[in-house]
Amino acid sequence: MSKTTKIAIPEWQGCVSTVFDFANRLLLIDIDGNEEINRAEIALPDEPMLQRVTSLKNLGVDVLICGAISRPLSFMITGLGIEVLPYISGRIDEVLNAYLTGRLTEQRFSMPGCWPGARKGFGRGHRGRRRCRRRW
Amino acid sequence: MLNRVRSKERDVILDSITEGVFTVDSNWRITSFNRAAEEITGIPRAKVLGQKCSDILRADVCETKCALRETMGTGKPIISKAVHIVDARGERHAIAISTAVLKDKSGKVIGGVETFRDMSLVEQLRKEISHSYSFEDILSRNHQMQNLFAVLSNIAESNTTVLIVGESGTGKELFARAIHNISSRKDKPFIAVNCGALPDTLLESELFGYKAGAFTDAKKDKPGRFALAEGGTIFLDEIGDISTALQVRLLRVLQEKVYEPLGSVSSVKADVRIITATNKDLDKLVEADKFREDLYYRINVVKLAIPPLRDRKEDIPLLIDHFIGRFNHLHNKNINGVTDQVLATLLEHDYRGNVRELENIIEHCFVLCQGEIIERKHLPASFQTTADTGYPDIKKAVTLEEMERIFITHALRQNNGNRTAAAKQLGIHKSTLFRKLKSLNIEL
Repeated sequence: MSKTTKIAIPEWQGCVSTVFDFANRLLLIDIDGNEEINRAEIALPDEPMLQRVTSLKNLGVDVLICGAISRPLSFMITGLGIEVLPYISGRIDEVLNAYLTGRLTEQRFSMPGCWPGARKGFGRGHRGRRRCRRRW
Repeated sequence: MLNRVRSKERDVILDSITEGVFTVDSNWRITSFNRAAEEITGIPRAKVLGQKCSDILRADVCETKCALRETMGTGKPIISKAVHIVDARGERHAIAISTAVLKDKSGKVIGGVETFRDMSLVEQLRKEISHSYSFEDILSRNHQMQNLFAVLSNIAESNTTVLIVGESGTGKELFARAIHNISSRKDKPFIAVNCGALPDTLLESELFGYKAGAFTDAKKDKPGRFALAEGGTIFLDEIGDISTALQVRLLRVLQEKVYEPLGSVSSVKADVRIITATNKDLDKLVEADKFREDLYYRINVVKLAIPPLRDRKEDIPLLIDHFIGRFNHLHNKNINGVTDQVLATLLEHDYRGNVRELENIIEHCFVLCQGEIIERKHLPASFQTTADTGYPDIKKAVTLEEMERIFITHALRQNNGNRTAAAKQLGIHKSTLFRKLKSLNIEL
């Protein structure tokens, strides 16, 4: 029996919300295999970061597909074992379809101006504040 | 021709100012973006032009209360509205935005202009002064710390007594403040008391206050810290250092929620959440009869154990980054980062003083560093000594082969296993290094 995966996507006007930290609505999509079996939409209150993380955990989210996200929030969510796919933009259905077919890494779903590697997660060869990011 | 010259002139003027400026057309697509805007958002101009402004500015108002939309709708400018953005590096910034409409010669609205100032320094100073730290200020990717974060929301809501244990400098007070700041008591005072810093008699009057005439020189009533923290949270640091007499009084506050100020004949009700912390092993103090068992169980309802920095070294690059950003604001400098050598040195260090020690090391570097990158020579003297005798095993080596092994292993460690960089540091070709790795049987 295949395991159901719960995907969360912050939504705004049919598209992925620009910043997860400030998003107001969250789509919850249950996926079984490659099939969408359930979809729900909930309101995200204007709440402190920690509560937002706790909400995701309580909702049983496995994967968060989002636009920009602040580093502390990303760390907290990944620390709970939730996979974060950040810096994604586009219409919800196209993004979801791309996720299910393994095409989410295509450039057209990438938000403008994120540094190389940002979509693989924070902190890879990243230190210092500005410019001059030397690799190690 | 004239238009092109004017456009260039306009770009030079816009690039010379310290405020971020961008303009949009009527479809919210960015048509110009100045240098300061690039710096504040961290996104280069080339990637911005033609994009939707909300995808670039990434502000909390973009989706619901867009200032530019409001201005273009009403025609009225908005001045210095405080908002938060998430920049390209994933950092939150406070900025102040102002908006105005752009009109053509006939007066028709053709777009809008938004200017914004980075308020991070003001925000940083406000935090330094008011200590209004939250969990956003505790950076960690360590799984133990993430487990703590996961339960903190529930702990904050529960109003229960919390015991925070951890070595000195791990951030116990930061955790306590963060718990307070997300609890329902956040609008009431947070009072921190270092129990180890005051003699016992003084600590008692500090905590519970006194009445006029309670002792010589007690000319008028003085409220204690419990009274000052009424409705809020009191943080008792170094709880393992208080005397057994004071432990009894504290136990009464915890059990009955009342206390008596010195010299008072009546009890005062206390509506205060108590968070305690210690770097001592309270179990051992209880066994040695130096800490009351009943008090221990009262304060140990929820225990948070903060791991020392040496057990979460994956956080060191993050923390270095964080402190550099903070000190850049506070010291008005523009330091970009540390060299690979400094990072390797800091990763190897033992950090008996934990995060506070790392913070002090970076602050020391800020005093000495006049350039943009912190180098090894900027580190405190104790690190320079280590550098001179950087090969502790060298005295044990008796053969040339053993010395080679030590040098190569050390160079690899300093360069995080990067063989090309290690070969460069050793002054040999990388193929020579590969050959020596094989002949000396050094595993990576």
